[in-house]
Amino acid sequence: MVDPVLSVRGLKVDFGGEGRSVPVVRGVDFDVYPNEVLCIVGESGSGKSVTSLAVTGLLSETARVDGSIRLCGIDVTTAAPETLRQMRGRDVGFIFQDPTTTLNPVLTVGRQITEGEVAHGRLKKADAHARAAELLREVDIADPQGRAGQYPHQFSGGMRQRAVIAMAMAGQPKLIIADEPTTALDVTVQAQVLAVLARRQAELGSAVILITHDLGVVAEVADRVAVMYGGRIVETAPVAEIFASPRHPYTRALLRSVPRIDTSDSRLDPIPGQPPIPGALPKGCAFQPRCAVGRDQPLCVAEEPSLSAVGDNRQSACHFAEKLPAETMAAEPRIHAEAPPSKPEPLLAVEGLKVHFPVKTGVLRRTTGWVKAVDGVSLSVNPGETVSLVGESGCGKTTTGRAIMGLIKATGGSIRFAGRSIRDLDGGAMRKARREMQYVFQDPYASLNPVKSVEDIVAEPLRIHGIYDEMGGARRIAELFDMVGLSRTMLGRFPSEFSGGQKQRIGIARALALQPKLLILDEPVAALDVSIQAQVINLLQDLQRELGLAYLFIAHNLSVVRHVSDRVAVMYLGRIVEESSRDGLYDLPVHPYTQSLLSAAPVPDPAVRDTRRRIVLEGEIPNPASPPTGCTFHPRCFRATPLCSAEAPVFDRYLDFPTRTACHHAGPLAEGHRNIFAPGVLEAAT
Amino acid sequence: MIGFVLRRLLQLVPVLLLASTAIWAMIYAVPGGPIGAIAGDNASPEQIAAATAQFGLDRPVLVQYADWLWNAIRGDFGMSIRGRAPVLELIGQRLPATLQLAVAATIVSLVIGIPVAIASALRPGSWLDRVLSAWSAMALGVPTFWLGILLILVFAVELRWLPSASAYVPIWENPIGALRNLALPALTLGIYVSGILARFLRASLVSELRADYVRTARSKGLPERQIVGVHILRNALLPFITIVGLMMANFIGGAVVTEAVFTYPGIGRLLIQAITTRDYPLIQGCIVVILVLYIAINLAVDVLYAYIDPRIDYR
Amino acid sequence: MSRFLRKTLSILARLMASKGSALALIFLATITLLAVFADFLPLNPVAQKLANALKGPSATNWFGTDELGRDILARVVFGARTSLLTAGGAVAIAALAGVPIGLVAGFFGGWRDAALMRFVDVLLALPAILFAMAMIAVLGRSQAAALIAVGLTGIPSFARITRAQVLTLRKRDFVTAVEAFGGTATYNMFRTILPNSWSPIFVQVVVLCSVAILLEAALSFLGVGVPPPTPSWGEMLRTGKSYLHEAPYYAVLPGIVLTLTILSFDVLGRALSGLLEGRRDAVVAPKAEEVTS
Repeated sequence: MVDPVLSVRGLKVDFGGEGRSVPVVRGVDFDVYPNEVLCIVGESGSGKSVTSLAVTGLLSETARVDGSIRLCGIDVTTAAPETLRQMRGRDVGFIFQDPTTTLNPVLTVGRQITEGEVAHGRLKKADAHARAAELLREVDIADPQGRAGQYPHQFSGGMRQRAVIAMAMAGQPKLIIADEPTTALDVTVQAQVLAVLARRQAELGSAVILITHDLGVVAEVADRVAVMYGGRIVETAPVAEIFASPRHPYTRALLRSVPRIDTSDSRLDPIPGQPPIPGALPKGCAFQPRCAVGRDQPLCVAEEPSLSAVGDNRQSACHFAEKLPAETMAAEPRIHAEAPPSKPEPLLAVEGLKVHFPVKTGVLRRTTGWVKAVDGVSLSVNPGETVSLVGESGCGKTTTGRAIMGLIKATGGSIRFAGRSIRDLDGGAMRKARREMQYVFQDPYASLNPVKSVEDIVAEPLRIHGIYDEMGGARRIAELFDMVGLSRTMLGRFPSEFSGGQKQRIGIARALALQPKLLILDEPVAALDVSIQAQVINLLQDLQRELGLAYLFIAHNLSVVRHVSDRVAVMYLGRIVEESSRDGLYDLPVHPYTQSLLSAAPVPDPAVRDTRRRIVLEGEIPNPASPPTGCTFHPRCFRATPLCSAEAPVFDRYLDFPTRTACHHAGPLAEGHRNIFAPGVLEAAT
Repeated sequence: MIGFVLRRLLQLVPVLLLASTAIWAMIYAVPGGPIGAIAGDNASPEQIAAATAQFGLDRPVLVQYADWLWNAIRGDFGMSIRGRAPVLELIGQRLPATLQLAVAATIVSLVIGIPVAIASALRPGSWLDRVLSAWSAMALGVPTFWLGILLILVFAVELRWLPSASAYVPIWENPIGALRNLALPALTLGIYVSGILARFLRASLVSELRADYVRTARSKGLPERQIVGVHILRNALLPFITIVGLMMANFIGGAVVTEAVFTYPGIGRLLIQAITTRDYPLIQGCIVVILVLYIAINLAVDVLYAYIDPRIDYR
Repeated sequence: MSRFLRKTLSILARLMASKGSALALIFLATITLLAVFADFLPLNPVAQKLANALKGPSATNWFGTDELGRDILARVVFGARTSLLTAGGAVAIAALAGVPIGLVAGFFGGWRDAALMRFVDVLLALPAILFAMAMIAVLGRSQAAALIAVGLTGIPSFARITRAQVLTLRKRDFVTAVEAFGGTATYNMFRTILPNSWSPIFVQVVVLCSVAILLEAALSFLGVGVPPPTPSWGEMLRTGKSYLHEAPYYAVLPGIVLTLTILSFDVLGRALSGLLEGRRDAVVAPKAEEVTS
């Protein structure tokens, strides 16, 4: 057998100096072999990023590292700083999460790509520019000569991350460590970046450690998976086995809590409670308080299980690893609030909504152009129904939501709520109209006023409208707390004392205070850990059933959208390109952009990754200030013809489908197939 | 680039207009009005009549203002009342002294400030950092006039090495004499400003040290010297330029206090004399000249900054 | 209210926990108490005894006597009153004018922002000391003039800090949220944004106290500040400078008290900035409007 590139035994990392030290990594063992992709999966605080920094000695000086780390024959924990520096330049390449901050803003990209090689004496300064261009070409960057002389701010997010990949690969390292490399990117760009990463890795034969929280990405790229929880690896196995038959309750619960993009769903099965905070771990097994198998079992409370073999090539740290049932998906069908059969009066009807922002330039700051953030959006939401608006960043979905709410002034079109036009209402009338329509924000950390108690925050809408006493005062607030599953004992606390999921519950309680009929949910779960996402999604579905609420759900996560929606609209560059019933859109999309989007989204099922091929879109979303002519999608479209650049398609019904779309060449990918996720469908199309 | 400079200049117009109007109008706010200000409180009717005629004070206010502004734009601020010489000439005599002191003080402040900042930022929280940070706080907190007095006490009164009152000696005529005269005022000003510079640069270095791109640079195995010297310093020095420019503008705007301590014949002391003798044309002239220089330096720094920071699109 | 009290006490406790800020706090408390109760102390700042002029520190005159035979310690203590009153009044003027300017400019933007900030720019068009001197040239020399002049130079820093705070806050979701459930702009400005802005404003109050004391002393040193015979630290340094040969203690001792006062406010300002705003390496001093060279 080949020797591992990296071998870690008993790794422990503690943070903090005098007095209290916080154990963040508590005994981790793993190996990585050449030409292998090891994915480390975990939620926030699991210690996965710290592990990756520790193995190359990149942690700050406040961290204490114990254990043995052998990387390409060097013992990292005892090596001299100079040896480590040489090793990092030669044997390891790093790709970090946020491409906007990992590059130095005041040095050219080309210089940053090659300076490692120059510093290690493998490249002459005079040859650096040519080498940089060569490396950029290898990661598919157009005009590499010119691009090498540019600064990071002149690159788009996806290009920056590809430049970082070029930098990491420059020295042909034996090990590449990628820490959430695509988390900050849109799904079509993620597909590009993962493809480049995979190709370059195969060319160099490097070993890869990829750290992620996204099970879809894991299923897509991993050879082997290590699941981390509370600072330890709780399970490790080849990727197929992890997904098919997880042998740790946490892995099992994690897989069941994630909505799937490729199947009609069951109700999500969330993991109760919160991920543990390093430094305040429960006694015994760290997962025990949340575990369906071991909760309050004397053995699990008393003793932390060690990671031990449970068959060939796989290990699990669970006292009951051998006794776990085999199935992974919950059987309980989702209770779906069917849309009322008769055609009711829509609660919200938006026609031709436009939001244009002026672009000012020149000495006198004159308006020289318009950013058409929203450019003719029409949609309707019926009572008790969930309509989702999906799209990548910058497509205008949030602007649409805010314009409907009256938080941004619409430039054109009509917005009717319960049969009444609410566009251009004056201040007082708009405030009244808003009582029936409320907004839930993406970032629960930013949407709660930090200097008010949560009781006052939830009561604030009632007080502003002067109906606090009328609605029942403190009793009403307590009811709202019950409704969103928060304890009444928390009423007097301040937002900083709550976790992300709890804060989002408070945000929902506040939105419900005025008894609205419609909630606009702007990425309500995007900032939450996956196990918490499921809790909040279930809460939203329960509330909808109990209170008959209508939802306008704005999101970029296609799996979550499939799970919650009755109808779905896909946005691109300020317009809706396709709208349909949920299953209509996911099973049989007809617009090429929807098709690309769905094919680019990673599916958490390694069994289909070899049979399923992606449509990898070229380029990125154009600048909305100067959109392409005709159909704005045509420069990236695989069906584009001269007609597309000349004439914008109208948004209209497609055949007898429940679908409306705006495309000259609309149509399913392949005739006769009923599901885009079925093997072979995408291949036939491309 | 030209458009950018033009835009900045255009933004300055309202500020300059407002400020100069205020400066012109201040003479009307003086108890006794412009006549009292020009002719003095105990002026005889004849003197008042003469002053009224001489300064055209019987014309409509707007005409007087337009006249003053037009003259000011051409650099004519009239005659100094006590000095019996054109205001601009008096200012012109003092300006070189002020400029020489400003340059010397800037050099002193950079020579002290930059090494102090780098040494303390490299190991935040270490004993060296604490000592140097305390030094910066002292440099900032000790009033320049008191520091000047202490320096005079030690170097002039006790040791008798340097003069206690500094004269203006052009450095190209008599370098040694110039340095002897400049040493104490330049040190006083320089130490004070080095405290500001060191504190600012340390803070931006420390925050740059924590930036993600530093981790990236380390992950490439770059030598620490290169990480600090190229990656970090380049980012930290960009905002630092603004501060240095601001300080220079301040020196030229008149190191009033320091000039007073060392009875140095700069523009600041001219202004104090003008104020204590209520020589209003001279006050106006001094303030306008300082204002213009101050704004010009700030503008130059803005433009320089936009030019060297690749992120700023100055088109 | 009890939360406010608890918070104040906890901040005080944390300030006392660090050696530097504890010393600063104790020093300032002592100086303030002395200034307030100066009348009840056996000190007389005006009693002249020419025969006793320019005598060094002794058991009866701890800081020595000045050129008119007055007790320098007494004049330092009564000078503290002048200094703290002028600085306190100036900071009050600056905050009361600057905070609303920043609030309105930042919240409404547009022409209101442009007009108000141009006004602030005019205040910044000259170094603070020159601006104050020009003001005094117009107003005539008096304690009130010094107070107003110093106060005006402090307006820009409050206006800018408040405006910056408002600009970051008003994009935050919790401000938009209030708008979404029907709060008016005025409600948002005073009930949401202002309560979240107290920390930086309070830090600025402390920082500006040190700047105002320095500026007032500088004006008096130049002979345009608080007029004699009111005792003032700057004026004492000014006179003391004439007697450096005969009586070096005359300029040195009051200077020590002045310097310690300025340093204490500075230390306290930085400590508070760290505690209230979580900025450990706060850059507090280098702002154009706060430089007195």
